[in-house]
Amino acid sequence: MRVSRSLPAALALALLCSSLNAPPARAADSGPIKIAVITDMSGVYAALAGPGAVEATKMAVEDFGGKVLGRTVEVVGIDHRNNGPDAAIKAREAYDNGADLALDMTNSAVALAVASVAKEKKKLAIVTGGASSALTGASCNRYTYHYAYDTYALAASTGANIAGTSNGKTWYALVPNYAFGTQMLADFTAAIERKGGKIQKADLYPFGPTTDFSSYLLAAKNSGAQVLGLFNAGADTVNSMKQVKQFGIDKVMKVAVGLGFLSDVDALPDVFAGSRITTSWYWNEDKAARAWADKYAKRMHGLRPTDIQASDYSAATQWLNAVKAVGTTEGDKVQGYLDNRQFNDFYAKGGEWRGRDHRVIHEMYVVDILPKEQVKEPHAWFKIVQTIPPGRAFRPESQSVCKKDW
Amino acid sequence: MLRIVNFAHGAMFMLGAFVAYYGAQLFHLPFYWALVVAPVVVGLFGLVLEVFFLRRLYGLDPLYGLLFTFALVLIIEDSMRLAAGALGSPYAAPPSLSGATNLGFSLFPTYRLFVIGVAIVVCIVVWFVLERTPVGARIRAATEAPVLVRALGIDTQRLVSITFAAGVALAALAGVLAAPNQNVEPTMGDKIIINTFAIVVIGGLGSIGGSVVTGFGLGLLQTLGAVLFPAFNDTLIFLVMIIVLLIRPSGLFGTPASAK
Amino acid sequence: MTSTLLGSRRGAIVAVVIVLIALALPKLVYPVLAIDIVAYALFAVAFDLLLGFTGLLSFGHAIFWGGAGYVSTILIAKAHLPFPLAVLAALVYAALLALIVGAIAIRRQGIYFAMITLALAQLQYFFAYQLGEWTGGENGVQLSGRGTLFGIPLENDVAFYYAVLAVAALGTYLVVRIVRSPFGAVLNAMRENEQRAVALGFRVDRYKLVAFVLSGTLAGLAGVLFAVGNRLSGLDGVDWHTSGKVVMMSILGGIGTIFGPIVGAGMFESLDYFVSKTAIGDKTNIVMGTIFALCVLLFRRGIVGELLALRSKRSETG
Repeated sequence: MRVSRSLPAALALALLCSSLNAPPARAADSGPIKIAVITDMSGVYAALAGPGAVEATKMAVEDFGGKVLGRTVEVVGIDHRNNGPDAAIKAREAYDNGADLALDMTNSAVALAVASVAKEKKKLAIVTGGASSALTGASCNRYTYHYAYDTYALAASTGANIAGTSNGKTWYALVPNYAFGTQMLADFTAAIERKGGKIQKADLYPFGPTTDFSSYLLAAKNSGAQVLGLFNAGADTVNSMKQVKQFGIDKVMKVAVGLGFLSDVDALPDVFAGSRITTSWYWNEDKAARAWADKYAKRMHGLRPTDIQASDYSAATQWLNAVKAVGTTEGDKVQGYLDNRQFNDFYAKGGEWRGRDHRVIHEMYVVDILPKEQVKEPHAWFKIVQTIPPGRAFRPESQSVCKKDW
Repeated sequence: MLRIVNFAHGAMFMLGAFVAYYGAQLFHLPFYWALVVAPVVVGLFGLVLEVFFLRRLYGLDPLYGLLFTFALVLIIEDSMRLAAGALGSPYAAPPSLSGATNLGFSLFPTYRLFVIGVAIVVCIVVWFVLERTPVGARIRAATEAPVLVRALGIDTQRLVSITFAAGVALAALAGVLAAPNQNVEPTMGDKIIINTFAIVVIGGLGSIGGSVVTGFGLGLLQTLGAVLFPAFNDTLIFLVMIIVLLIRPSGLFGTPASAK
Repeated sequence: MTSTLLGSRRGAIVAVVIVLIALALPKLVYPVLAIDIVAYALFAVAFDLLLGFTGLLSFGHAIFWGGAGYVSTILIAKAHLPFPLAVLAALVYAALLALIVGAIAIRRQGIYFAMITLALAQLQYFFAYQLGEWTGGENGVQLSGRGTLFGIPLENDVAFYYAVLAVAALGTYLVVRIVRSPFGAVLNAMRENEQRAVALGFRVDRYKLVAFVLSGTLAGLAGVLFAVGNRLSGLDGVDWHTSGKVVMMSILGGIGTIFGPIVGAGMFESLDYFVSKTAIGDKTNIVMGTIFALCVLLFRRGIVGELLALRSKRSETG
């Protein structure tokens, strides 16, 4: 049998090869510097990040001058297809081919997978779009930073904002029974209770996707609670919001959507109108934001950037600044420079790269989503109702569970 | 009926919803018209699929039919994703059906009442066609003894095509009905298809009555389960399926001949 | 079909080509991708043992691939077990699972069998989701290292690849031996005409169960190689799309030919990977779906199957 006969030969060759195998050559300190934007190019997060994220990163590089340390900077867009193993392989390959930074990773599973690879390769990864607070908690590592938002920030903003009002004290929560959902519930419970409110009931529904929320929504309506908290994401949020409107629940309860983005409202404006969410940035929040959004719109056919896309621009710029300052792209050195550094740009007000757990903090904004009639120009869906300062928006350092090993 | 496991059934459901959506976007097609147009359009599409592709696979192991329809799912879903994006497209119930009706014991969304009504009517119509019309008799005969029926001079191939197209059209109708309630997006058929398989298998292949009863029964079970044992809701249907198949191999209402 | 393949010159040529490519693979493609290809190849071969040789289509084979993947990675990550122990534990899990699943599913045939395997796979998917503390839920399990083999760390991708290759080769060899044994002859007879086999006195259900357990355990082994090779396991491993993927690979390559699934896995994985990096990357599913649909319609014997049929026709007329 051919296979068995060639087995010893295969083993011999294997030993020979592994002894000859040199480690992959580092794109020596003279080739181009590469930023790998690992994002969802075609799936559910494509509008939130996707090609827009790659474009935003390219804008950052161009505005920086296209070069740093005398080397050109290249931006490579990689589709992670919402698949952890796929993303990990592509990240590995990108790092081995000379990428010094992995950026975006919108999708928590992907973010965690790439963070693992970053640690192994000792190269930096900055997660903008993933939500999991585990990135700065149990899964924290020296080479990974969490840039835009996390579940704690959402809770500390939306939760605190609504619970701080007199008709926002009692909540009914709809929670999908998986890591994101239960984390949201935990974070929101804490935030609401800090303001003297309480979650009357939390309905954990099986994460499926579930398409029918009628039993939960009717229970919510009948509970007499003042606020309906939807601690889900994606299709679940859309389905539950549609049914909220169907049952007329938004007329008797305030609706807090745990996680929502500009791109979601662009797709389904009627569904989200009237609800309250938290965002890390809004394109029309001030002159500087708007100026950048105008530049983005020119390149993206009039679309307005989401906060994640803006965060990619911001993170890329900050990283390039750091590389220039330390004179190398080496992960350890850049990380050493970034830790505890404070900064401000059009995206991050009061920004700081926290050294304790690599959580990047900045202002967060609680916004109401306007119905079509009140929207003054295309994509101007948000109305900021409260600004949360960085110190309050993110988990305090003292409560971090990150086992810092650097 | 056809010995074909149509994996693409869920995709047809999704296509029905999208026809309603595009109809509204491009032609201002009202909802009530969509209820007719979508099944016809998607049914025709199903007919084309059957005539040009599925027909070639009949004589073979049913495995190939299943695999082909599985490939179809990939193609259809991905094409829709390219056309419409993955996030979802808005579709609302018509104003005449929005809001809620007072049923005395509870306020109930009017639209849902409508859906229930349509579902009941459709089931009765299908049952009637199959059990009380000549066409229906021929279809049932062709399922049980195709060779005999052919020997009698009846064109079984045409019956098969009609039945398949009708099945697809019904899926599309369900899609239109679901569109105002759910997010209209390319993968909306995925969950349905697994549940549908379970329902048909539990109810018994070849028994419409079985499917209807099981469908309603499982719907009840799932809603009750959502309240009583939320954690296991999704798996309830599979547990039931396994138990039923072990005890009654041909399903609750199926005939033993369909046990294979 | 198998005897004409394995003992023949054509079979030998196919085998040699495969071996040469396999040995050079880490130099041709990214090493971890190479690991994936070989892992999927073993998965497909294990699956084919059930489909091509026993005639049972399982639509839930990811239950072993993903389940064993989870067990091995969780043990390495949380219990810091050395690699061989983790593999062993995962194999035991896969075998036991196969015993249970097989015992339930084999009582029915055809479509029902496939549906039961699918349903049971969905149950495991569900548990993988719910037991988030162990499985990480939708985030999966990340390994910071692959563990050790008798004290030697397994981090070098290329070295690990060759280890995986050796294991996969052994697994394939095992399948070949099974198929060519008297046991395999009975499986073949059952596949061709089950009633005749029953009439001849064979305890058909027992044979099916043994075949199922063997297939499931090997699939689990492949899953371990994949998960540890990639240093992570997640829900995709137990998802029904993965079950569908291995079906496609086997059919594409040619069921019942041993080498078919290997070729099918190689082509499918590489195609999937490289297409996703090209300009039409976002249309990958359409491409793969179309290729598969065409295969089912026109080239049902799969690549290797068609190759063999071609050659034998020529030699007949020649």
